[in-house]
Amino acid sequence: MELICPAGTPATLRAAVVAGADAVYCGFRNETNARNFPGLNFSTAELAEGVRFAHDHGKKVLVAINTFAQPGRVDLWHKAVDEAAQCGADAVIAADLAVLDHAANCHPGLRLHLSVQAAASTPEAVKFYVDAFRVRRVVLPRVLSVQEIAALNRMIDVETEAFVFGGLCVMVEGRCYLSSYATGKSPNLSGVCSPPEHVTYEDDAEGTAARLAGFTIDRYAQSQPTGYPTLCKGRFTAGGKTSYLFEDPVSLNAGGVLAGLKAAGVTALKIEGRQRGKAYVTEVVRAFRRAVDAVEAGGDAAEIDRILAGMSEGGRQTEGAYKKTWR
Amino acid sequence: MADEQRDGSLPLARILFPKIGALPLGTLLTKALRDLAKRQPNLFDRLGEHKSACFFVDPTDLSFAFLVVPDGERSLVRVVGKSETSSAAVFISGPILMLLGLLDGSLDGDALFFRRIVSIGGRTEAVLALRNAIDDAELRPADLLGLHGALGRLADNAILGSLRAARRLACRGLDQGERS
Repeated sequence: MELICPAGTPATLRAAVVAGADAVYCGFRNETNARNFPGLNFSTAELAEGVRFAHDHGKKVLVAINTFAQPGRVDLWHKAVDEAAQCGADAVIAADLAVLDHAANCHPGLRLHLSVQAAASTPEAVKFYVDAFRVRRVVLPRVLSVQEIAALNRMIDVETEAFVFGGLCVMVEGRCYLSSYATGKSPNLSGVCSPPEHVTYEDDAEGTAARLAGFTIDRYAQSQPTGYPTLCKGRFTAGGKTSYLFEDPVSLNAGGVLAGLKAAGVTALKIEGRQRGKAYVTEVVRAFRRAVDAVEAGGDAAEIDRILAGMSEGGRQTEGAYKKTWR
Repeated sequence: MADEQRDGSLPLARILFPKIGALPLGTLLTKALRDLAKRQPNLFDRLGEHKSACFFVDPTDLSFAFLVVPDGERSLVRVVGKSETSSAAVFISGPILMLLGLLDGSLDGDALFFRRIVSIGGRTEAVLALRNAIDDAELRPADLLGLHGALGRLADNAILGSLRAARRLACRGLDQGERS
């Protein structure tokens, strides 16, 4: 199985390659990708240099152009595809029909991966993208169990990629409106969930209050672990009870189901976190490189939970939908 | 275990750094940043509009803080008291060894934030821009000291080695504090 690793900057791309990534995914410095945060991402020149570095080390670079083109501005998304092709990218990761169509028609030699943002989880949906745009790989939404992935793989004739570590979205991928409702910007169109210019942290007698566009989304004591300031991971009071209504702040860690994913026919394993730094990428990629190599050799991925506990959101980890323990 | 070791700080830092704080540290760091900007002008590009923001950097285990404007060749660093926050737009606080770990890229800012070791306030977008700019810069001690060649490598090895050793001690205290 290939190990697909995140990079928000050129330095992180190099760190991921050195740490053992088979491929690195990254995006341009604009809203064409779903991690459009200040100071993050690549210029065209940086991408070209990053591709050269990766290829010199026998690794690949995948370019995420995975947001949905805004009406009247589709040229920006087309330009991103053109520039990724010119830079020698090994694949483009996209979800928008207009972006996929442009890539398939204008760059027939460019490999296309269907982004998780497209939320393709049925054989019919996958076959549509394969037939219409010659998609070569589908990044699976984080709602399927290992058994469901195995069943899906038996019914399709295209590679699949599964997330194994990092942030989780509880909503149907690509269709969340929480950030947009509060701030006017969404991961789907603007490439940014909980845009930082709308996020504030304020200390008071009760601890720290995290606010998004004026909404208090969580309040925690000094020693309490926390997560990202997104509405889906906020604590709210309903029915007289205060709890994480949508989703706990917790990181996905599928280290324990790598053998199951291999048996289910998954081609590639994806680590989330283009917004994270070199230290995260280095540690997580190294741990998963060892784990994947161990599983490929017939062993198991022992101790990966312990190794990565310190990198996890809220200090906690879950196998999420892969095991669906709530059923 | 002393309380101060449970938050990733070391008593050694408190003993050592107040003496350094008495030196013209702000002047030296201002010169180092401006010299760095002359040598590597692209280093500050990722800050974008936030390069003119005033960052209040508060090492919680030291008796003083820093006001930093990371504006290329116009950069400014001042050593200030803990209460001199009025001109700051951004606040970053944490034990000095952890803050230095962010500077040299050996620690992950989000992980320290999740564990509440590092706190932020003010303009969150400027914090992110600074974090990403620093992370991509791959700064070494020699860069800040303006040293090159063998001398630079010697400084990097000595300083980074000492920081790694001190951080191991601090992190051991932190892990024990979290388990207790």
